[in-house]
Amino acid sequence: MTKFAYAAAASLAAGLLGGASAWAQPAVVDGPGYLPECFAPWDQDTKYFQWEPREGPYRIALVNGFVGNTWRIQMIQTAKAYVETPEIAQHIAEFKVVSTGLDAAVQLGAIEDFINQGFDAIVTIAVSPDGFDRVIRLANRNNVVLVPFDNILDTDEVMMVNEDQWSMGTMSAEFLIEHIGNEGRILEVRGVPGNSVDRDRHEGFRSVMEAEGNNFEIIEVVGNWADGDAQKATADALAVHGHFDGIFTQGGSTGSVRALMDAGHPFIPIAGEGENGFRKLIAEHHEEGLVGLSYGQSPGLVAISIKAAIAALQGEVLPQLISVPVPVADYKTLEDGVNYWSDLTDNFFAVNEFPPCDVNITAVQIMAQTADDVTQ
Amino acid sequence: MKTLRIYATQNLGLLIAIAIFLVLYLIYATQLSRFGMNVVLQNANEVVPLALVSMAQTVPVLLGGLDLSVGPLMTMINCIASEFLAGDIWSVLFGCVLCLVIGSACGLLNGCIVVYGRIQPIIATLATGAIFIGVALFVRPTPGGKVDGDLSWALTNDINELGYTYGWWEDLGWFGLIPLPAVFLVLVVLLVWIPFRRSATGRGCYAIGSAEGAAYMSGIAINRSKLAAFTLAGFFAACAGLYLTLLTGSGNADAQQAGSYTLNSIAAVVIGGTSLFGGTGGCIGAIFGAMVIRAISFIFRVIDENSIFGFLASPLLQSLVEGAILLLAVSLGAARVFRVRNRLTLFT
Repeated sequence: MTKFAYAAAASLAAGLLGGASAWAQPAVVDGPGYLPECFAPWDQDTKYFQWEPREGPYRIALVNGFVGNTWRIQMIQTAKAYVETPEIAQHIAEFKVVSTGLDAAVQLGAIEDFINQGFDAIVTIAVSPDGFDRVIRLANRNNVVLVPFDNILDTDEVMMVNEDQWSMGTMSAEFLIEHIGNEGRILEVRGVPGNSVDRDRHEGFRSVMEAEGNNFEIIEVVGNWADGDAQKATADALAVHGHFDGIFTQGGSTGSVRALMDAGHPFIPIAGEGENGFRKLIAEHHEEGLVGLSYGQSPGLVAISIKAAIAALQGEVLPQLISVPVPVADYKTLEDGVNYWSDLTDNFFAVNEFPPCDVNITAVQIMAQTADDVTQ
Repeated sequence: MKTLRIYATQNLGLLIAIAIFLVLYLIYATQLSRFGMNVVLQNANEVVPLALVSMAQTVPVLLGGLDLSVGPLMTMINCIASEFLAGDIWSVLFGCVLCLVIGSACGLLNGCIVVYGRIQPIIATLATGAIFIGVALFVRPTPGGKVDGDLSWALTNDINELGYTYGWWEDLGWFGLIPLPAVFLVLVVLLVWIPFRRSATGRGCYAIGSAEGAAYMSGIAINRSKLAAFTLAGFFAACAGLYLTLLTGSGNADAQQAGSYTLNSIAAVVIGGTSLFGGTGGCIGAIFGAMVIRAISFIFRVIDENSIFGFLASPLLQSLVEGAILLLAVSLGAARVFRVRNRLTLFT
């Protein structure tokens, strides 16, 4: 008995050290990749993947986690509108969407289920940055293209799509410096604490603001990327500090501006997210001093992820980590009906255009998804 | 025949849960384009963490109390296990045993607060649940872990794959296709739950749930049974945490996920025919309850959007539909109340 146990232990240990058997997975190849102006590599160290090309049309699934805020709902509607567009529809045999809630086991299960069902590609927003090793192995073994986006994974073994959060912080800082000068009192409204997106935007912002030659007093409050929270936090900060020269708000930007107006504070330069309401306010008040910059973590990322998945299935070379250009507009480039919509609700995310990727789902198309009949 | 009928009346809740599960699963299985053991394996993987945590919930419910700390405890063990499940076989084994011991100890702690502190279980476990999440965050402030990749792959697959991964055996035929998660679950039931159910302490739990005063007067060791029940709940929650760690290969101190496990476990217990007033039911029912809950979400993955039920597939309606089906399932479990002449007979 002891002999057997020892033998088992020894072979288990050998197995643990020895690593795993081989299975199919994307080949790591040299760049540059397909359509580099859209599928840009994250940095120069990003490796490139290539899958065996296969015949379309493809079966693609979208496995969402949490559902229940405007962004996610708009993301799902964007995905549905995108697969209806003629140039994508010809590649799609079936498109399926599920939302799995906050439980990682269920999300992993859903992905595995779609792998078992023989889907060609699975696009997903991960509920956790870790824990996907099992489905990555399974996807590789079954030659399924798995594309996490937005909340991406801490791994370099799977193709992922995101925008550079750090650069959103730096471009906001540069915009404020351009319009304020090199000194002043700045209000920074942060996002959900502990989140990597919040951290990266904050650190990017600070890296520019605190650089040599700048002399800013930065007041930091937490707005949780929500209009209500941001409005309250901004109002509190205005009550305590009286005057600010500029605002950087990570989200809930409409709330920050409304707090400014409620407090009777003069309009000041502001950099914020891509909410339609924020853009409406900038367009309305920029001549009174509300010079604004609006960048966006776009729900349209899902469209680029689907496009990347299709390209991968066709055998194109793609970067492992795709950096989608940050869509940005400022008070000079805002145009009603193009990058904001005065007749749509405030909490609609206005940023959907990705010209380099040929992805341009208009708000009208997305809103049409709420109705049952989608007309192109 | 008579014994069969008695068994059926005594386990009506369980039988209803099995029936609901079979109906739901049949819908799922027939909609799938290809059904095979890999599908069963995937489903088992998804069911097992919830099944184990529902078993953990069952034991305090049998006493007539709710345990709100099962989800947090599972999360805490998940975080601890993510630190230990690596290295050679001895350190992995040590890690598993350590996790089970910590889980049981935390369960015992719950029991002590309830028994000696004389605090309602729902309040006591609300507090300890917060503590467990706190510890989980302390152990693992950001998601991650160093769980051995091959270990988590092999143990969350079928028996064949375990052999392939470590080079122990080749194709074992149909036997090799049995999913390991199902094996683990059956082992826990056979080696832990059934013996407990049959012991004097376990029967004591049922007696306490039915009528604590009568149990006391009959000379049942009330405190011992209660302590044992909470300890067992801690043990099952630790098993769930360990399995979640294997499944995700990492630890994540996610309070929302912990909360959803706790709430789903209560639903699973009720669907499985265990009375929230205590005294009737059992872990087998809870396992089927968990299977019902998971089967509901399975269906959303296969339903054809162009069929008459296509509207059910709308991702924005999924929670609503899930909730409605859950309510229906729970109500079916409770429907037997209508059939009895005297509600007291439910407790006999």
